[in-house]
Amino acid sequence: MAAAQEKITVYNVADLKNTSDDAIPNYLNSLKFTQSHRLTDVRLALGYSAFAVAAACFLWDYKLGFESTKWATAAAVAVYTVLNGALTFWLLAVEKGTVYVGRAPTGETVRIGTASERQAAKGQAPQYRVTVQVEAGAGAKGKAVAEKLVFTRSFAEWFDEAGNFVAPPFQSMLARAVPVVGKLDPKRVAAPPTEAEQKTLSATASQGKDAASSSSSSSYTPELLEALAKNLSGATAAEAASSSAEPGPTKKGGKRRKA
Amino acid sequence: MLSSLGNPRQAAAQLMNFGLILSTAFMLWKGLSVITDSPSPIVVVLSGSMEPAFQRGDLLLLWNRNLFSETSVGEIVVYNVKDKDIPIVHRVVRKFGSGPNAKLLTKGDNNLSDDTELYARGQDYLVRKDIIGSVQGFIPFVGYVTIMLAEHPWLKTVMLGIMGLVVVLQRE
Repeated sequence: MAAAQEKITVYNVADLKNTSDDAIPNYLNSLKFTQSHRLTDVRLALGYSAFAVAAACFLWDYKLGFESTKWATAAAVAVYTVLNGALTFWLLAVEKGTVYVGRAPTGETVRIGTASERQAAKGQAPQYRVTVQVEAGAGAKGKAVAEKLVFTRSFAEWFDEAGNFVAPPFQSMLARAVPVVGKLDPKRVAAPPTEAEQKTLSATASQGKDAASSSSSSSYTPELLEALAKNLSGATAAEAASSSAEPGPTKKGGKRRKA
Repeated sequence: MLSSLGNPRQAAAQLMNFGLILSTAFMLWKGLSVITDSPSPIVVVLSGSMEPAFQRGDLLLLWNRNLFSETSVGEIVVYNVKDKDIPIVHRVVRKFGSGPNAKLLTKGDNNLSDDTELYARGQDYLVRKDIIGSVQGFIPFVGYVTIMLAEHPWLKTVMLGIMGLVVVLQRE
């Protein structure tokens, strides 16, 4: 991923969000998700057909003058208004901030929407709010079950001070928060949290249960993480040893890995 | 930033954004044109022939439909001299007859003589069809941008280039 090394201005919240948004398809597609481009394709189709109408109007007005093409121009303006209105509706009501739609190799459909937020307290980094909708594959148990997870993390967890995007903490965050991803990438789930991540985790824990309540059924407990890590070390002892951290130290205040 | 353009869909989406800005501006203009029934619903005053009412650089808003009454003496109208692209903003001072074939004579408030010399060779009067609208309102001084763009055409290319760069590089 050559894009991993691109530097951005940490003060530009739009850049932070866009770079993070771009990393999601890269990561998930590398886990063999099949991305669905339907939302983008409809948006492009609406936008380009509106543009085509405007271009046609421009051409006939240029060639034939205003008087003779008045009615065609009026029709073109009406069609353009309808198409543009449909495009706006599509963006606001249907897409609604979705940046990724895809099918996991295990059959679930995942739809991820993101938004950036300013941190309420001064001096803290802006936040990245991720909304994940997971629909179990229809074949699994008959009815498709939809699950919605919302979690908010600080951009500081995966951007360093210089503005470089650091992929592993970003991927760990996704793997930990979304079980479908975590199943496919246990290595990221088992990696110990970085300092920035721990700060966020302890902050949300002290705030109470609001952050965890919406995803309580799918958040990981330290025991579960240790079990996963043990699984890993059973499967590939060499990998566990060579991975740059010791598995299992998820207790806060315990062994903290210096970033 | 620019590396994100490697993804073709993304590049297409950003190009589309820029294209939509241009086409929306154009369609707004055309929509106004159709509503007012004027090929050029907004014109800029180019000369001082209508002072003190209008100065050079004023933006004029036109209406070209005779819904309630015919074009009459005293109205300020905009017309193009036959086969020329320059809009002239003057006042109707004489009207002979009525209906669409009435003959109209115009004169600038600040001019000594009427427009007979401005009309095409052999043309002594205007008819309603020559007029592209009568002035309903104006915004002072705003039109100077258009005058500058017209007198220095390279400014148009520069402006468009800057706009394009800004929109494509900033994905907001």
